[in-house]
Parts: sequence; C-alpha cells; structure tokens
Amino acid sequence: MLHCLNSSTSENCEMSVLERQRSRLKQQQQQLSQNHPPIPYFNGNDHLAYSGFHVDQALSDLVLNGGAMKPDPGVEHHDFRRFMNSGSATTDFQMSSALPRTVSYTAAASVNSAPGKESCKKRKADRSPKIAAEEKKMKGCAEEESKITEQNSNSKSTTTTISTSANKNSKGASANGKKASDAPKADYIHVRARRGQATDSHSLAERVRREKISERMKYLQDLVPGCNKVTGKAGMLDEIINYVQSLQRQVEFLSMKLAAINPRLDFDIESYILKEMFPACPPAMEPDHSHLQFNTSVEEVSGSGLEMVVDPMDATLRRTISAPITAQQSFLNSSSLNQIQQVTWEDELRNLYSMEYQQGRSTFISQQITGFLEANHVKLEM
Amino acid sequence: MKARSSLKQEFLEKWRKGLQIGRNDSTILERKDAIKLSADVAIAATRNAATRWRRALLCDVVSKNPTNKHVVEQILGHKLKNTAATTRLTTACRRRILRRGQNYRRRKRNKRSRALRKLVPGGEEMDGVLLLQETLDYIVSLRAQVDVMRRLAAIT
Repeated sequence: MLHCLNSSTSENCEMSVLERQRSRLKQQQQQLSQNHPPIPYFNGNDHLAYSGFHVDQALSDLVLNGGAMKPDPGVEHHDFRRFMNSGSATTDFQMSSALPRTVSYTAAASVNSAPGKESCKKRKADRSPKIAAEEKKMKGCAEEESKITEQNSNSKSTTTTISTSANKNSKGASANGKKASDAPKADYIHVRARRGQATDSHSLAERVRREKISERMKYLQDLVPGCNKVTGKAGMLDEIINYVQSLQRQVEFLSMKLAAINPRLDFDIESYILKEMFPACPPAMEPDHSHLQFNTSVEEVSGSGLEMVVDPMDATLRRTISAPITAQQSFLNSSSLNQIQQVTWEDELRNLYSMEYQQGRSTFISQQITGFLEANHVKLEM
Repeated sequence: MKARSSLKQEFLEKWRKGLQIGRNDSTILERKDAIKLSADVAIAATRNAATRWRRALLCDVVSKNPTNKHVVEQILGHKLKNTAATTRLTTACRRRILRRGQNYRRRKRNKRSRALRKLVPGGEEMDGVLLLQETLDYIVSLRAQVDVMRRLAAIT
C-alpha cells in the first residue's frame, strides 16, 4: 500500500496541490475497493513502523478531504505542523495519522464531500489542544482501535472515524475505561461517531445514552396506546405516566370489586373456569350450578380474543357486554343470576363509594364505579 | 400469544396460592387489600423476579407489613432474602447511581421523570435508561394482571 503512495508522491512535483491530493485519494479509494475484506484495526500497529513523511501526506489528504491545504504536501515536515497549528511532536502526528489511515481502509464510506470537509476542519481545531505525544498512548490507542468496531450498519464517513480515533488518543484510557464500565463485563460498547458531530468521549457517551433512550421510547410507543399521535419525549412520557397510573388504578378497582363480589376469598372455582379461557389448558368443568350458566358466556368472552383491552374501563365494559350477544339465551339465564347478585353488590358498592369518598380517594374510582353500575343496568336490560 | 397466556397463567396460579392463605378478613377493605396484595406479589413473582421493580415491590410489600412475609414466601416458593440486606444493597446501588449521574450527566430530572419514578416501584434509584426499560416490563406485567383480574371479575 505504501509503495503506491510513494510512487504517487514522486510524480507530484508538477501537478498542483489539489490535483495531487485528488489523485492520491483516487488511488486510496481503489485500494479500498480492492482490499474488500476488512482489515482488523490491529494492523495499525504494523503500519506505525512505516510511519514517516509520506504517511503524513496521506493522512492529511484523508483528513482534509483534499480541501484547502495550503502548504505543499511534497515539502517539509514542519510545514504540516505549522499548518496543523498544533505544536505537537512528530511522533504523535505520525501516530495519529497511521492509525486513522488503517481505520479508513476498513470503512467503506465515501470520503469526499463538502460537509465532511467542514466537519474535518472543526474537528481539527478540537483535536489540536488535546494531542499529547506519548509512546504509551500509541499502545493505548492501538488497544482501543482493536476494540472499536462497527456497531450499527451506518454508512457514515471515514473522516469522522479518523478524528474520533485521533481524539480518543488523548482521552484514551479514561474514555475506554468509562465505556468498559458502562458495558457488561464480556464486551464493550462499540461506538462510532457520525459525520458532522462532535467526537470527544463525553459527547459520544451522551449520544450512546440518547440512542438507548430513544430505542426504549420506541418500544414504549408500541406498547402504550395513543402514543403514535404524540411525538417527542415529553408528550410520550406524559402518555406513559397516564397509562401506568390508569393501570394501577384499575388494579385497585378490580381488587375492590372482587372483594365486594366474594364474601370470602375463595377463588378456586373461578380459577378453573378461567383456565378454560386459555386455549392451552384443558377445561375443568365444575358442577357448581351458579357457574354452569357462566360457561358459555365465558367462552364467548374468550372468543372475542385474548387481546388485552387497553382502553379505560368504560370501553372494556362495553366490550364484555357486547361479547355475549351471540349467546343470548344462556346470557339471559345468567343475567337473572346477575340480578340477584348485583342488587347486593350495588348496595355494597354504593356504601363503599361513600366510604371511599370520605377517605379522600380519587374521583377516578368513583367514576369507574358509576360506569360499572350503568353497565350492569345495561346487562340486566339485555 | 403463547408467551402472554403463559404469563397470565403463571400469575393466576401464584395469585391463587396467595389467596389460599387463610385470613380473618371481615370488612370489604381488608379483603380488597388481601386480594390486591396477593395479586401484586403474584405479578412480581412471575418470570424470574429478577428485574429491579419486582424486587423493589416485594421489598416494599414486606417492609410495609411484616406479616405479609409469608404470603410472599408462599407465592415465591422460596424464602425471601433478608430484607435488611436487600435494602442495604439498594442504598449502596442508589448512592453509586446517583454519584454517577451527578458526575457525568448532571441532568435535571424534570417533572415527568420524577412522576414516572414515583409510579414505577423502585424508580427512585434508576437512571434514565433503566427507568424506561423497567417501565416497559412493568407495563406488560400490569396489563396481564389487569386482564386476568378483569376476566375473573367479569365471571363472578
């Protein structure tokens, strides 16, 4: 790979700066397409040995995208330093150049674009104060490179990864350690900076966290009804909060209702019947007369689907009412039984309602109780 | 669908177990509390009881009324770990998490975040990402619980 670069640089004397850079880039891109199997990042170490003048040229081309590079790349080394305005040592520059160069070979994205250029310049400015010349950092960098792999299938630019790794040189151990501590023990969080975005480790971590949050918000959006209309975290959080609150209140109300219905806490019989509702379980028929009439209605309810009804109580009540329409006769039988039960139950609930209101419960429960009472009236009428 | 119904079945089984414990309940409120307790513990004991909100819920249940402990144990099927130890653990976790949050992120926990934390059991000690994750699981479990209870109530 290097010999191509060397040959190209030898011809450069006559061409203009830009043309030289462009030709070099073209060659590198060809090499990219040729070296299709991705080279592992660790190869960067090998190339460090070759680091030298020409590598700097290659790097500067890649980093600056053949952009506004003022000094002639074929000229001295110190020009680069001047231009880069970093005051960094040669070794450091080579180090930062060699590794990103290998990074660029493994990535497959295109390099030339105007926004990329601008971002590169910005990052260069970021990079300069952070660069420190250390042999140790080279090694740390190499380790980091080996760990950093592509996480998402984003085809984002290579130049960003170049400066990512360059920045990571300086933050090196601390950033890496932080990532390792965030991730589970076995593997690391693999992050790649995106085009046109800041690349210091803190903002990267922030971005990872934001992505995690948005991913989970997406799942929640599917789960919570009515979240599709609202966009943005705040609105969705509101919906989620309302939903959780309503579910908790439903639990409260239903347990109250069950307590009201059953004078004692015997639910064994019902549980057997409930098992019928789940198609996996074999039905266990109970000879209890009061419940035989409910069997058909239960089957109808189960026939309406095991889907969870998510709407507030009123909607679900309407559904449970509408379900037994197909089996009216059995339902009429059951409704007579309902009548007897519900007289007592309604009285109890009314007492309860007054009691609870005195206790300062929320109005939600009272609404539900009244709603349920109305629903039961409807049932009786049927 | 199969996964969901198995969750509900599991919940139902555990709920029944909890309700079978004989209790001397006369008033409707006492009965309602017993039902709700069994239901909550049952739903917290489904799957493998490993997520944070489940543990927090069980700890809360036991700490509120020590007599609930045998309900919990009956439903869980094994002895609950010493609650003092668990609370110590959670405070350590809590401190660690808060410190981490303060140092690295310094985000202001806005109203909504706080509200959600109050709703989800154990939410005070979770950071943003974990909170959403736990909320997700909690919502699924709550839905199953409400569904089963509603069907039961509809039958009886």
